[in-house]
Amino acid sequence: MIEINETITKTDRKSPYVAPSDLSQIGIVMKYDILKYLRSSRLIGFVAIEALVLLLITAIPPLLGNSYADNADEFINTYASFAGILIIIGATLFAGDAIVSEFQNRTGYLLFPKPVKRCTLLAGKFLASTGAMFLMLFLYYGVALGLGLLITGRFSILGVESLLLAMMYATAAISVGFLISSVMKGTTGAQILTFALFLFIFTIITGVLTVSGMEPWFIVSYSGGTISYITQDPYPISGTAIGGTEGFAPGGIEMTNYYPEIGVAIAVMLAYAVISLVLAYYFFNRRQMSA
Amino acid sequence: MNEPIRTENLTKNFNGFRALDNLSIAVRKNSFMGFLGPNGAGKTTTIKILTDLLSPSSGSAYINGIDISEDPKKALTDLGTVVETPEFYPYLTPKETLAYLGELHGMGDEDLRRRTKEVLEIVKMSEWADKRVGKFSKGMKQRIAIAQAILHEPSVIILDEPTSGLDPRGMYEVREILTELKKEDYTILMSSHLLNEVQQVCDDVALINRGQLLKIGSVEEMIASANVRRLDVRTLTETTESQLKEISQFKGVSDLESFGSRDFSLSLEGADETQADLLTGLQNMGLRLVHFKENGVTLENLYMSLIKDSR
Repeated sequence: MIEINETITKTDRKSPYVAPSDLSQIGIVMKYDILKYLRSSRLIGFVAIEALVLLLITAIPPLLGNSYADNADEFINTYASFAGILIIIGATLFAGDAIVSEFQNRTGYLLFPKPVKRCTLLAGKFLASTGAMFLMLFLYYGVALGLGLLITGRFSILGVESLLLAMMYATAAISVGFLISSVMKGTTGAQILTFALFLFIFTIITGVLTVSGMEPWFIVSYSGGTISYITQDPYPISGTAIGGTEGFAPGGIEMTNYYPEIGVAIAVMLAYAVISLVLAYYFFNRRQMSA
Repeated sequence: MNEPIRTENLTKNFNGFRALDNLSIAVRKNSFMGFLGPNGAGKTTTIKILTDLLSPSSGSAYINGIDISEDPKKALTDLGTVVETPEFYPYLTPKETLAYLGELHGMGDEDLRRRTKEVLEIVKMSEWADKRVGKFSKGMKQRIAIAQAILHEPSVIILDEPTSGLDPRGMYEVREILTELKKEDYTILMSSHLLNEVQQVCDDVALINRGQLLKIGSVEEMIASANVRRLDVRTLTETTESQLKEISQFKGVSDLESFGSRDFSLSLEGADETQADLLTGLQNMGLRLVHFKENGVTLENLYMSLIKDSR
């Protein structure tokens, strides 16, 4: 007869795994956030919007019987002037709900009890958002610059400078989107506010300040105007013009056209990016899963 | 570390409302503790502080002796959690979700493959490994949640009402998983409303109400200390009103309720001797008993009396 003695011994169990460094974890968070963008069709949707914009800009002039600009910089100017709106859409899609969704969708219950710091999560998500946005900008400018080369026979260096400014503006817009996302309670509200802030609120403030004779140099969307102005040669400078308005006022209305200075615009965009991201971290780090 | 989960004078205020009031509990190593209390008692708040989802107003919470507030990354390394009913990223599959969370714990590709296969088998979700979580039912998500909690082989597990919101089948399946976990050398803290479940699965129990600890100890001790038991009785023939009245006047009997003409239940205060006396008394009345049994929810009686006293 065989006797089997089974002894269950309670041991000093301990997880054999050690959480990787913050830097490695940033890469992990970034990787899976990009995977989420791919799976949720956000990237595909954005590519479709870009394709439509490129198609319309390229196809409409010949359909109206107009010819393309001979100069590569002038050619790229039309494309660059639409980059701003694409960046606003991108910031809404990739940043607007990046933080708030973890709270509203309750995925934070899964993620936050893991051995990963909030600053690591923020950095990973931010890099995923900016990475996705940069990818979209490379695609957009790549096609535009390629078309310019094909049609005008010249490559636009100013177009590349426009791309660099677009990347800076995109970084600032995404940072602001992260800040909004870290304080708002709902994903829809956060996305609407991000979109409205850049498309309407900043535009209205810029318009009111301009009419009041004050240069809105501190508004980030005003700085974002450099994306298209940089492709104009020479770069436009601010100046005052008197409009002929007989019947309105003697001597006409004095109007000042403001154009952002490149150096100031870069500094403003960097300031928005850094300050918004620091504030986003402050609010995200303090936020609790209390609901 | 003999008490891998510990809170010391934990207090949490929400806009003037005190959710936790100097709560101190400790979970013994390799034990399974049930965490009981009515809605709003502070169970989830305690668990959220232990899992770094909330910060305490004062006091401390420790996992394996590490203060959660001071070094959350280190404290959470050896911890698996299921808090409330977590949602998953709908566009990822269970395999991808486990890979994401496992990588954050420092698991390599080979370990991830092995453990993912193991834990999905434990929670019976292997055939859904490559389907997107977005289409899963609540029960399936709960099983995946348990899978991610044990993926990295932690020594400490914290579960917040793991059977909450599940249908009877889902509850049964999760209870089976919990029974399996008990066989291994985890230290587990589980909040639950289901006292039967706690009585079946847990070694120890902590009862709280209004953020304060009412009682803590082993389930056996608790049941022994509970001097009240609930008994179900079925007679062969009809029990009359006068017989029921006579029974309610037996020593220690209270809360007598009849169900139909042959079934009744009652609360009996006293030890085994009192129960034996009651049985003899019923037989002496001429009642032929088909069934005379404790209904197995002694803990519920204790719970109710403690909650009632603390109101």
